[in-house]
Amino acid sequence: MNTLMHGLRAWVIQRVSAVYLALFTVYLFFHFTFHPPADFSAWQLWLSEPWVFIAIALFFIAVLLHAWVGVRDVIIDYVHPVWLRFSVLTLAVISLLVMGVWFGRVLLGVTS
Amino acid sequence: MRFLIYRYNPEKDEAPYMQEYELKDVRSDMMLLEALLKLKEYDETLSFRRSCGEGVCGSDSMNINGKNGLACITPLSSLEEPVEVRPLPGAPVIRDLVIDMDTFYKQYRATKPYLMTKEPLPEVEFKQAPKERDRLDGLYECILCGCCSMSCPSFWWNPDKYLGPAALLQVSRFLEDSRDQMAEERLSNLDGPYKLFRCHTVMNCVDVCPKGLNPAQAIGHIKKKMLKHSL
Repeated sequence: MNTLMHGLRAWVIQRVSAVYLALFTVYLFFHFTFHPPADFSAWQLWLSEPWVFIAIALFFIAVLLHAWVGVRDVIIDYVHPVWLRFSVLTLAVISLLVMGVWFGRVLLGVTS
Repeated sequence: MRFLIYRYNPEKDEAPYMQEYELKDVRSDMMLLEALLKLKEYDETLSFRRSCGEGVCGSDSMNINGKNGLACITPLSSLEEPVEVRPLPGAPVIRDLVIDMDTFYKQYRATKPYLMTKEPLPEVEFKQAPKERDRLDGLYECILCGCCSMSCPSFWWNPDKYLGPAALLQVSRFLEDSRDQMAEERLSNLDGPYKLFRCHTVMNCVDVCPKGLNPAQAIGHIKKKMLKHSL
């Protein structure tokens, strides 16, 4: 069954992350509409609540995973020469990892 | 009535071109295929496939005013002038409206479109309850005209690796069949990012199917089945 997960896993990750992104975006929209943080310290306080911290960390992990599956799909569809595909995929992984590290630093920087 | 028809004879022409035709004796109840046959009377070099003329054999699939369909069941009255007729997009052209469908058939064959059992076949007929038979409705009617696969961008980009909507509809047809016992193997055969998962639910297949079938939904059912099997 493990080999079956090859295409299936990517598809499931895409669907699950999409649902989380959609729901959490709606939540964020209402939260910031009705309880906008008054200043930076209020924003920091909100972010330092453990569940908010975890939910936002999950949100960005979902963004990265969703982006990875989507970009990978586009590359598989359109980029056929092996060397070019390999380079573009590598570039995509590196940029997503850099964004991940950058986000981690931002999140930890705000809450510390 | 004015027609613009894609012409290409690789033995003579350097590049394909659109040829203009004018047909005078057009009746209001005529189908496009009848018009093409009349045009062929004037210009016998015009090539296209056709057989039954009733939307059953699927031979005369072509791109009509930008949309794939069967010429024999497309009324001329439904078409805007000039009627642009091209071969189905995405496959090599053999001549004029005749395309090479080898890849399409190869993908169909790869799905093993026949009943497979693990137990020995029953000595009498293979019985099926009416309810089980009903599950094949919307799947078995496919005539393999190729309109769906040749309208699918994913199939255009990866025709050698992605099975395409027509072949996947057949996978679903045998997965749903109560008499088939190879569901696990059929699902494992769809392994990898290509065969099934190049479908991005563009749904051109549903839009063009001359038999009103829904390959996109069938593909969705296959994905759900796969998920269930993997859990």
